[in-house]
Amino acid sequence: MHDIGLHLKKNEAGELGFAVYVGGGQGRTPLIAKKIRDFLPEADLLTYVTAIVRVYNLNGRRDNKYKARIKILVHETGAEELTRQVEAEFDQIRDSELKLPEADIRSIEAYFAPPALADRAEGWEALARAKKADAAFAAWVGQNVQPHSHPDYGMVTISLKPIGGTPGDASDAQMDLVADIAERYAFDEIRVSHEQNLILPHVAMGDLYPVYQALEKSGLATANAGLITDMIACPGLDYCALANARSIPVAQEISLRFGSQARQAEIGELKIKISGCINACGHHHVGHIGLLGVEKKGAELYQITLGGSGDENSSIGEIIGRGFEPEKVTDAIETIVDTYLGLRLDPKETFLLAYRRVGPKPFKDALYGATAEAA
Amino acid sequence: MTKIWKETGFVAKDAWVIETDEVKAGEGETPIYALDAFLAAAAETNGGGLGVLVAPADDVQKLEPYLDRIALIAIAFPAFSDGRGFSHAALLRERLDYQGELRAVGDVLIDQVPLMLRTGFDSFAVTNETALKRLDEHCLMGVAQQYQPTARSSKTVAGFSWRRIGSTGA
Repeated sequence: MHDIGLHLKKNEAGELGFAVYVGGGQGRTPLIAKKIRDFLPEADLLTYVTAIVRVYNLNGRRDNKYKARIKILVHETGAEELTRQVEAEFDQIRDSELKLPEADIRSIEAYFAPPALADRAEGWEALARAKKADAAFAAWVGQNVQPHSHPDYGMVTISLKPIGGTPGDASDAQMDLVADIAERYAFDEIRVSHEQNLILPHVAMGDLYPVYQALEKSGLATANAGLITDMIACPGLDYCALANARSIPVAQEISLRFGSQARQAEIGELKIKISGCINACGHHHVGHIGLLGVEKKGAELYQITLGGSGDENSSIGEIIGRGFEPEKVTDAIETIVDTYLGLRLDPKETFLLAYRRVGPKPFKDALYGATAEAA
Repeated sequence: MTKIWKETGFVAKDAWVIETDEVKAGEGETPIYALDAFLAAAAETNGGGLGVLVAPADDVQKLEPYLDRIALIAIAFPAFSDGRGFSHAALLRERLDYQGELRAVGDVLIDQVPLMLRTGFDSFAVTNETALKRLDEHCLMGVAQQYQPTARSSKTVAGFSWRRIGSTGA
């Protein structure tokens, strides 16, 4: 879904490199990037990207600023011809100064070297005790802690999606707290995720409980990573001059409607993404359920798309039908969710898998009535 | 009014004139031809000291047979948002090894001048008032850290062979 996508991989000889994709993007023209090279050695990364950008700079559209995008060039030129042009340019510059020497690659590796993690096997016992004593903590560990390559550690998602709150928001005091936690328990490392959450990549099992307790006091321990209330929303009309509709109040209402921990767990993995205008900062095109705010006759209206995905099997959501007024959009989401719960084969079939199996019809029927299609 | 600037300062007398249907080089002036007119003229004579104007959509590779007879290549920037001239300059300097004067003409803005210098431009036809004022004050702000090698050489930094310290800038 990006102008240039680089997928890190190893070739048959075990060398690191990248599969290269170009011409993805969202906004008013959502397109999935095309693969133009299956394996690019890591030393050629900068050279190859320079070739792509040069071909785009010289040949991209200039007559219309909305079409001055790599995705439009790829779409209009065709991936095959564009690949030929990029490869031809790459051939000219492949041995230039941009080629990464081994020493540079080593310097970058050293910069990103993982911390030395001591074995902390004794922590498992403390973790088990705390989980037994504190059910909310157990739920948080189950939802917000992912496995780590070191068995005694986990990766913690700090949810910035409190139930009914502003998605992705954090106060200065909360940021100070997270910094303190990262310093004390997480090797000074905090990552910001595109899901608008914070990640502590290395936390020992034995430290999870004190980390949780500190977060919990500050309202940062919502156990909803990857669940329906873990939404992405753009700032919308409340803060953005480009927006046509509000995003945050819509997200807050959906969050409150689905806020119960048991209900969220029952629904399972479901990504809702909300954009307040066609520029798609909320990435609604790749939401399992996407909401696009538009303006119609001076009033806000939300168009719903289903089946989008921004993961390695990316897809662009399909518009399900006419839009919904602000006061009706949460009901519409609930109708979609209930329809999914009614038709899924078993709890392991996520919303996205179910949608890919059954298509839009059951959801259309539920939202607009079975007769709507004939009308 | 348009003034010609180089790193040594403003040029008092510049003989180059971009020829159009209305404007022709007069006595003591030297013409800069549009690409097609240039290709026609260059095929007819063997003379040197020629000037040519490259528009954004032109292909600079067409100049290759004539580069040793060209004294000045003007690259047109009809709008600051049209960056094709940067690629033209890079190709002329790095791939075709053009050694003559390379001039940016058109919508040349002060914040682009350091980047143009890096790509290989060495003279500028400047009309923008702010740009003229800043150049007159020797106020040329660039970016201190650079990550791409370009036509213009710059100082290396230990650790990363492709990281550079700019010759202009804070």
